[in-house]
Amino acid sequence: MPQGYALELRGVRRRFGSVVAVDDVTLEVEKGEFVTLLGPSGSGKTSTLRLIGGFEKLDGGHILIDGQRVDHLPPYSRDTATIFQSGALFPHKTVAQNIAYGLRMRGVAEAEVATRVHGILDVVRLSGYADRYPAQLSGGQKQRVALARSMVVQPAVLLFDEPLSALDLSLRMQLRAEIKRLHDEIGFTGIFVTHDQGEAMAMSSRVAVMDRGRIRQIDTPEKVFHEPADEFVFTFIGESSCLPVRIAAGAAFDASGAPVPLKLARPLADGEWRIHVRPFALKFGEQAARAENRLTATHSFVEFLGQFRRHHVRAGDLELFVDVEGDEPPCAPGASLEIGWNDADMRAYRR
Amino acid sequence: MRTRDRLAPWLLMAPALSIAVVFFGLPTLFMARMSFNLRPDERLYVPGFTFEHYAGLISDPLFLAAIWTTVRLAVMASLCTVLLGYGFALLVWLKPARWRLGFIALAVCPLLISEISVIFGWWMFFPRNGLLSFALVSSHLIDDKISLLYTEFAAFVGLVYLSLPFCFFILLSVFDGIDKSLLEASADLCARPLTTAREILLPLTRTGLVVAFAQSFIWTIGSYATPSALGPDTLWTIGYLIQEQMLGKHNWPKAAAFSMVLTAGVALLMVLMRRLMAQRKAFHA
Repeated sequence: MPQGYALELRGVRRRFGSVVAVDDVTLEVEKGEFVTLLGPSGSGKTSTLRLIGGFEKLDGGHILIDGQRVDHLPPYSRDTATIFQSGALFPHKTVAQNIAYGLRMRGVAEAEVATRVHGILDVVRLSGYADRYPAQLSGGQKQRVALARSMVVQPAVLLFDEPLSALDLSLRMQLRAEIKRLHDEIGFTGIFVTHDQGEAMAMSSRVAVMDRGRIRQIDTPEKVFHEPADEFVFTFIGESSCLPVRIAAGAAFDASGAPVPLKLARPLADGEWRIHVRPFALKFGEQAARAENRLTATHSFVEFLGQFRRHHVRAGDLELFVDVEGDEPPCAPGASLEIGWNDADMRAYRR
Repeated sequence: MRTRDRLAPWLLMAPALSIAVVFFGLPTLFMARMSFNLRPDERLYVPGFTFEHYAGLISDPLFLAAIWTTVRLAVMASLCTVLLGYGFALLVWLKPARWRLGFIALAVCPLLISEISVIFGWWMFFPRNGLLSFALVSSHLIDDKISLLYTEFAAFVGLVYLSLPFCFFILLSVFDGIDKSLLEASADLCARPLTTAREILLPLTRTGLVVAFAQSFIWTIGSYATPSALGPDTLWTIGYLIQEQMLGKHNWPKAAAFSMVLTAGVALLMVLMRRLMAQRKAFHA
C-alpha cells in the first residue's frame, strides 16, 4: 500500500432510476482525517455515505477501505460504523448492551467487552447510564450512545449521517464540540454528512461541497470559504448579497433595463453577470468612499440580529443586504446611501 | 364542575360501551342464564336452576375429546398462520413502498369473499378431480389422483386461510412501528442477517407475535363452518357439538353450557396473554 489512505472512492456512481444520485465521485481520505460532505438535500452526500457503509449498491467505480476493495461487500463485512440521524439505538437493549453489540458480533471476549464498554462510556461522559434503556435518555444522550456504540469497535472509518440535525440548537453546538474533542483526542477517521455549513466548517479537516451528485470543491474549511471554486460553493458556504446585472458598454443595468449607479474598479465585459459579495464585506459611509467598488442605493429597512444589524437596501430592481456591527449608521428608510466593497471580497459570475 | 369532570370519560365512552353491552354483554349474559335452565323433556328448555349441564360435561368423554380436537386444530392452524403471516408481513415491510399497495390489496382479497364462498372454492380444490389433485398428478409428484377433501388437513388449510389476513395486518402494523435503520445499524455492527433477526427483529416483534397468535387462536377455535365443511365427519369440534345440541337435539341449556366453557376458555387465554405482555419491559415509553 503506497499511500495508506483509510478510505478511497474512485469514480463512484449511483443511479436511482433515471436520477444520478452520485456522479463520478472521487475522494481520498487519510488516516485520522475528518472530512465533511456538505451539500443541500438531494446533492448526493447521504447516498455517498450509504455507498461507503454498504447500504447501497455501486453502479460504477470502486471503494477501498484501508487499501482493500470493498465494492460489493455487505455492511456486516465492512470495517465501517455509522452514526445514524435517528441514532438507531436498539430500544430493547440497555445502553451497555447497545454499545457491547458490535464487540460481541466481532467475537471480542466477554471480559474485554465489559472493560471497553465502560471505557467508552467514560469517554462520552455517560458513566452512570449503562443500565438505562434508550427511551429513558434525552436526545443528546441518545446520540452520544450512538457515537459510543460506533466508536467502541474502532472501525477504519466512522460514518456520520447527519447525527446532529434532529437536535435543538444548543445541544447541536455542544455535541459538535464534543465530536471535535473526541476526534482530537482519539484521532479516528471520520466522514461527516451535513447540510449545515457552520457544522462543516467547525469540525472538518477538509470540506467536500457537493451538488447534484458531484463534488464541486474539496479543501480545508478556510480555503473553501475564502477561495470558493465556483458560484455554487460561494453561495452555499455562506450568505451573500447578489447583484444580477447586465453590463453594456461599461454601464450596468438591472433586469428592467434601468441603469444602475454601479462603479466597478475593474470593469466587467459586456453580458449578463451575477455579482456576489458577503454581507459583512459591504461597507457604508466613509469606508464605502474608500472602497474600490461602489453602488448608490436607497435604504429600505433594518433587522436587528443581536451581534449585528442587517440593512436591506435597494438600487433600482436590485435588492441586497449589508451587515454592520453596532448601530452605525443611523439611517431612515428612503435615505440615499453609498455602499462600497473591495475587489478581493467580490465574485462575479456570468449567467 | 366536579360532576362534569367525573362524568366526562364515561360520556365519551358511552357510544362504544353501549354497543359492547348491547351486542356482546347482554347476549353472553342470556347465554349464561340459559346454561342453568332445566331440560326435563323434549322441550327446548324449562326455566329453572341446575348445574347438571356443567356436571355432565366433565364426565362426558365426547366433550373432552372435542375440546382436545378443537384446541389441537386451532393451535396448529394458528402456529402456521402466524408463521406465514410473519413472513409475508416482513416481506411487505422490507420491500419498497411502491409495492406495498399491491401486497395489501392481495391480503384484503380473502376478506371480500364470504366464508361460505371460500368453502365452495375449497370444494373445487381438494377432491379427486379437483385442482390440487390435477396439479400434483400433472407435475408427476404423485401417480394416482388423490382426494384431500374431508380430511383434517383440509380443515387445517381452510382455517389458516381464514385467519391469515387478520394475522398479516396485525404483524404489518407491528413491523411498521420499527425503525428500519435498526436493521442497518445491526448489519453495520457486523451482525449477519440471521443474527439481526434473532437479536433485533424477534425481540421487537415478540409482543406482536403473541397478539397475532391469540387472535388467530380465537378465530379458529370458534369457527364452525370451515372445519365442518372441509373436515371428516368424525372431526367433532366444540363448534360442531354446540351446533348438534342446538339444532339436532334441541337442548338449548346444554348448548349454552358448551358455549360458556368455550367463552370462558378464550377469556382465560386472553387474560393470560395480557399478563404475559404486561410483564415485558415497556421500552417504547
